Amino acid sequence: MSVLTIKDVTKLFPGGTKAVDSFSLEVADGELVCLLGPSGSGKSTLLRMVGGFETPTSGLIAIDGEDITRTPPEKRPTGMVFQSHALWTHMDVAKNLAFGLKLRRLPADEIKRRVEAVLELVGLGGYGSRRVTQLSGGQQQRVALARSLVLEPKILLLDEPFASLDQHLRERLREEVRDIQQRVGITTLFVTHGQDEALSMADRIVVMRDGRTEQIDRPDVVYRNPQTPFVAGFIGTMNLIEGTVSNGQFTRAGFSHRLAIGDGPATLAVRPEALDIVPAEPGAGKVHRVTDYGTHGLVDFDLPDGKRLKAMVNQPGQFQHGQGVNLMPRAVAAYRDDVQVFRSAP
Amino acid sequence: MTSTEAGALAPAPTQRKRPIGLLLVAVPVLLVLWLIIWPIISAVIQTLWLPTPDGGRTFSAESYEFFVSDPYSRANLAITLWTTGVCAVLLLVICLPIALYLRFSNSKIAAYVQGLAIFPMFVPSIILSFAFIRVLGPNGTVDLLLNSVGLPKIKSPYLTPWGPVIGLVWDNIPLTVLILLSGLGNVSNQAIEAARDVGAGRFALLWHIILPRISNSILVAISFAVLGIFSAFTLPYVLGPAAPEMMGPFMQRTFRDLFDPTNAITQAVITFGFCIVFGLFYVRSVAKNRTP
Repeated sequence: MSVLTIKDVTKLFPGGTKAVDSFSLEVADGELVCLLGPSGSGKSTLLRMVGGFETPTSGLIAIDGEDITRTPPEKRPTGMVFQSHALWTHMDVAKNLAFGLKLRRLPADEIKRRVEAVLELVGLGGYGSRRVTQLSGGQQQRVALARSLVLEPKILLLDEPFASLDQHLRERLREEVRDIQQRVGITTLFVTHGQDEALSMADRIVVMRDGRTEQIDRPDVVYRNPQTPFVAGFIGTMNLIEGTVSNGQFTRAGFSHRLAIGDGPATLAVRPEALDIVPAEPGAGKVHRVTDYGTHGLVDFDLPDGKRLKAMVNQPGQFQHGQGVNLMPRAVAAYRDDVQVFRSAP
Repeated sequence: MTSTEAGALAPAPTQRKRPIGLLLVAVPVLLVLWLIIWPIISAVIQTLWLPTPDGGRTFSAESYEFFVSDPYSRANLAITLWTTGVCAVLLLVICLPIALYLRFSNSKIAAYVQGLAIFPMFVPSIILSFAFIRVLGPNGTVDLLLNSVGLPKIKSPYLTPWGPVIGLVWDNIPLTVLILLSGLGNVSNQAIEAARDVGAGRFALLWHIILPRISNSILVAISFAVLGIFSAFTLPYVLGPAAPEMMGPFMQRTFRDLFDPTNAITQAVITFGFCIVFGLFYVRSVAKNRTP
């Protein structure tokens, strides 16, 4: 049972930059939580504070109730997988894995047994005597994961581990890592700026912005019900239409939609897959580009004031550049002052 | 989806073998052959193909036999080897902590330390020698300061084997620090953090992660220092003892004072023999680095 508690953690860098601002999170035993956000949102700094490589300016970090806020990394029950693998190239694979165990003065046969077991776990059985420079990027990343797992840490920390890999390998490895994480049942904190990774791997996603939490939820909830315009715009593709509501009607440059909120400015959020368009002349918008992905199509079109929107269509062939279209949103959310004020049934 | 038929590949432009590259390297290669390789060959020939009383020449290892059998020559070689060894160890002991500090410190002081460590590079050996004499020599600054507070004089290292050691170490600090620093630049922060993450303390980090990663740089730094120190002249000449003396002053004195070019050249060939061992270490290290 390993629970990670982060309470009111703030990190102020010299010069006054606030990388993390009063951040709190509790990661349950065996849970995989993704910290997701753009560059500079503080997610890596937060992970490094959990790993002990940065010290919080204030706040508390605890594992199973034990305060580790000021504990140095070498004494923490955490294991970190770095973005650049950070393998020691002067050692072979087995020595990379055995290094931490040797420091713990384990018997040689125990070290050998654990190294072989963890290599089997990550699908690299028999690779112990290889030099790390002889391995592919994906294999190196698996060795880095194995190096952390072999020490049986209470908390596994993954710092954008797939960032340096190609798309195909990334997709394969994230499935493998998720599989291994579930088999081992290790509590995991995962940093990424790739929403696909977060949505496909996480039990919960923490969307971060400027060192603060924007939303903490299950991946499906974050995708379907983003609580702020930032989350709406950051996760997946979203049409964010700024306009005005008057007498229950949202309007923006020739486009209007019934919206049961009070009068005033508002931002309407519609996913491309929840936005139907039909050919119409003159229409509320004009088609700019049609992209055929085989299984579906994506139509980019402009409102009269130039605002560009996207709609997913089943038959892209019926649209062409310059054609007029009318919009019919099926599911929308509305935001005012960065707070969700309306959400229609999906 | 449409498909386009791939056109036939255009024929590769005919590669004419141009001798420009070879011409560019020809000048330095010829200079090395003329000014270094040929003098070495010539020196070896001159010391093994000795003149006879009848005006002819004969093959003889006599000059080498003399060097090996002469206690004074052996003592000079021994003091040179001792000085080189002690300097190499001291340089490593002094420069490695400086380089480690410069690599891993985020403090503003690091920039000043770096400037201070590189400073000796811009001081000519002869200036350094006289500065040494004025500070550590008899009745030098240190003696004056000690005297002013009523303490006895120091036992000056001037004109003892430690004189050249101090001067040569000071003189070689900049290059050694720079080479070690460049080696440490290849040790990534993440490799260090990964080691700390698995439980490595400072000593384990240095011994198991940092030193193996910079072993090549250490070898290069020591090779450079040894090559320079073994054949040093100015500092041993000005600061060292009259006897035994290091190979540099020994060669000069044999040639100019004793008018004995054959033995002076023999001493040079023997010095070269020792230096080439470290030269080969350096070449091997460079070749190893270039091997993909």
